[in-house]
Amino acid sequence: MFTMLRINTATGATKTETFSTKEYLLGGRTLSSRLVGREVPATCDPLGRHNKLFFCTGALAGTAVSSSDRLSIGGKSPLTGGIKESNAGGIVGVRMARQGLRCIALEDAPASDAGWKIIVIGKDKTELVDGEFLAGVGVYEKSEMLTGRFGKKAGCMTIGPTAEKLLLATGIACSDPHGVCSRYAGRGGLGAVMASKKIIAMVILDDGEVKPEFIDQDVFKAGAKNIVNLLKANPVSTKFTKYGTAAMVDICQALKVLPTRNFRHGVMDGAEKINAQTMYDTIKARGGEGQTQHACMNPCAIQCSNVYPDKDGKLLCSPIEYETMALMGSNLCLQDLDAIAVMNRIANDAGVDTLDVGAAIGVAMEAGLAEFGDTAAAVRLMEEVRNLTPLGRILASGCKIAAKVLGVRHAPHVLGQAIPAYEPRGTKGMAMTYLSSPMGADHTFGFTLRDEEVPTSKEGKVGLSKKFQVIGSRMDAMGMCNFVRYSVQNDMKPLLGLIQSLHGVEIGEVEFDDFVKETLRIEHQFNLDAGITAKDYRFCETFYEEAQPETGEKMDITDEESLLARQW
Amino acid sequence: MVIITFRLSEIGRIEIPLTGTEKWETVVQRCAAHAGVALGGILAVRRGTLLRGADLIEDGDEIDVFPALSGG
Repeated sequence: MFTMLRINTATGATKTETFSTKEYLLGGRTLSSRLVGREVPATCDPLGRHNKLFFCTGALAGTAVSSSDRLSIGGKSPLTGGIKESNAGGIVGVRMARQGLRCIALEDAPASDAGWKIIVIGKDKTELVDGEFLAGVGVYEKSEMLTGRFGKKAGCMTIGPTAEKLLLATGIACSDPHGVCSRYAGRGGLGAVMASKKIIAMVILDDGEVKPEFIDQDVFKAGAKNIVNLLKANPVSTKFTKYGTAAMVDICQALKVLPTRNFRHGVMDGAEKINAQTMYDTIKARGGEGQTQHACMNPCAIQCSNVYPDKDGKLLCSPIEYETMALMGSNLCLQDLDAIAVMNRIANDAGVDTLDVGAAIGVAMEAGLAEFGDTAAAVRLMEEVRNLTPLGRILASGCKIAAKVLGVRHAPHVLGQAIPAYEPRGTKGMAMTYLSSPMGADHTFGFTLRDEEVPTSKEGKVGLSKKFQVIGSRMDAMGMCNFVRYSVQNDMKPLLGLIQSLHGVEIGEVEFDDFVKETLRIEHQFNLDAGITAKDYRFCETFYEEAQPETGEKMDITDEESLLARQW
Repeated sequence: MVIITFRLSEIGRIEIPLTGTEKWETVVQRCAAHAGVALGGILAVRRGTLLRGADLIEDGDEIDVFPALSGG
């Protein structure tokens, strides 16, 4: 049986329910998107009382399986107006599992002038306590205040000052293994949704006593070990551990799809100054608290995260991911890793998504508010975000809003969510994926880049994108880290075998993929019901009219083709 | 001679002599044998274009090879 804890944020009332269905067994996005589809009116105001937030653990949460504690958060997005699932690493998933919780639902909303509350969940009770002392404080300081009060091992989720102001590009920060809320469910504005319910933090205490009850513990242990062995057997995984996602800087530069100058170009002169090797060498040279390899959750055999230190070896930012290096680096023509780290840290502290705000700063630079390549100006714009100035609030509303306000036509987004770090005219597979994701432009969903024979051609990309939409959604569907794919690759049997030896329920590969496809159908139906139509799944017109200089390519994917990629 | 640079890899730069043209899949197997390592998934880029296994490699080509990773 799997337990759902419902919390009415207006009254403080709580209620637990138990379920034994496979959607609850799988948890993750399988569960969060079904709950949103079932319980959230598609046309509701995302910041109103009818929206809900669902926090779901996955099928193997709380076990010793590597990278199995991903937290899936679902709701209606204020950024896209459609369904949103955003997931994060960290320790919240395992704390929920120890409390015996598969899902926490935040429902209703108090009056907007109600005071801020912290939800505290322990083995004996759930309560809403005063959270006013956290208001207006940056996420790093909030983290310290929360761990000071509830302990470093508590699983905490909080929002930044930008979310408190209901800005659209805001996320939810989750505790990492060191007790710092630095692991973001960053995309889609779910931070603002949490704020709309006047919940400034949610804490899962470290007093949970629920442990996995294995159907066959020996088989499970062997299966868990097999996941690690498969990972070690993949020659590429060691590179991923060493360099993390930053390796993509060189790959995208070589393929001419590195977002540069507000997505006008796909190549940046000096990209080697911000690439994985430079980051690795810098971290090694500075030593101190720096780590080239770091786990965002335990256990994790992949450890693709990092800790980037300042010149004195003190922690500056953890982690720095490729997407941020591109959107806050090359896209702004910045060739300074330290500046990217500073901007990333400010974004984490302010509570905003680095992709959407990085793209918004690119738009601001195109509007002439600063020069591309001006490091000091880019940091200054991030400080405007943190200080909640009028311009900072515009930037924290994402690149679509920023482009409208600042008079820029070339706004890099789909459904209002910023395009991730692959320039779409140079990779039509990724472009097809951006145009077919129910979440707005999303890269983890349908990552085709490695498998495109001719990236600049749209031929065959409907099928390729759909193939990887399923592959890419499998890990989300059961609450695993996406990079477990480096272990199991396309074979789900090892993971489904673990589910069987833990829960005693057999789910075949076909049945599992049917769950994945059904989730996509539910998500697209929600968007349709919300009023999102085919004309919304487009890039802005300039991508269709102006060629990317390095590839000579324009966007040429039609509405009919992207519609095919959304049909399941 | 074809120059192949394995980026983010201990293999580094390799120069392989060619007799006429050869398919990329053949050349890359020779590289792996030369380096004595299993390559795993790779992306190979020549003059900004991805190489496919059947693409022909010519004397003087310079190719960059990357581990097939993904963003996150």
